[in-house]
Amino acid sequence: MTITIDQSRGNIPVTILGVQGDLDASNYQDVIDHAVQAYEEGTRDILIDMSEIKFMSSSGLVALHSIALLMRGGKVPDPDYGWEAFRTLDRDRESGVQEHVKLLNPQPQVDRSLELTGLKQFFEIYTDRDTALASFG
Amino acid sequence: MTTPSHRSELSPGNSPHPTIRVSADVQKLAEIRHFVEASADALQVEPAVVREVVLAVDEAATNIILHGYQGQAGFIEISIERQGVSLVIHLYDQAPPFDPTQVPAPDLTLPLEERPVGKLGVYLIRHFMDDVIYETSPQGGNHLILMKDCFNSYNREENSNDHND
Repeated sequence: MTITIDQSRGNIPVTILGVQGDLDASNYQDVIDHAVQAYEEGTRDILIDMSEIKFMSSSGLVALHSIALLMRGGKVPDPDYGWEAFRTLDRDRESGVQEHVKLLNPQPQVDRSLELTGLKQFFEIYTDRDTALASFG
Repeated sequence: MTTPSHRSELSPGNSPHPTIRVSADVQKLAEIRHFVEASADALQVEPAVVREVVLAVDEAATNIILHGYQGQAGFIEISIERQGVSLVIHLYDQAPPFDPTQVPAPDLTLPLEERPVGKLGVYLIRHFMDDVIYETSPQGGNHLILMKDCFNSYNREENSNDHND
């Protein structure tokens, strides 16, 4: 798996976190760590480019949740699997903070996992990068 | 739940079917996925179903490594076979006993705020597989059996003829 970080300036500065390859329990923490570093360097809005994720386990879902919490200024949760994460995320959604993390072009298998676990409803998902970037701010 | 017809004949180290034995390390997950994908492809399982099975086995192996062994040294042995219309995957390990089939299933009809806390990986396994069976293996340790009905009637007849030869 490789991770790329790009910056975009549209309505507001947006960091594009790209993940390529397989996202599983061996490397999901790397994705979180990159997001943490970006946050510490000033990132507050992030687009996660999922177009080249070939495989994603539930560990990837934990990474998405962690980044969502991070971008609202919260702590990265304990890296465990479970519905507690989504209960927390639901509270976040009600407070309208998911506008700071959006997803770009998840492939069908990844999209199915997002839908199956109910995570899909918490994120805006785009298939076009420019449209996604324009939606921030 | 369905009981595999000859599961008692199978135990670590003596499976006649494609088998992989790796250390209980998350760095081995990719190797496990490649093994499952190649083995299922060789059995002519549809690609979409292969992806589901690969995800289920990855989740099961991850649970064994992280929640079974919990950082202790150990191994996972995985074998794959076809039984009639079913693809059957056996996972053996020597971690402390843990029965994932006893993990309560989340009620997806409830609002998220009211959903019970559970293991998401186990939920995905149950969703993508038709049967999940746990038993202690004759040699001790855990034996998890994942089953997916993925062969059509034509293949079933072909398989039956193979057994009759």
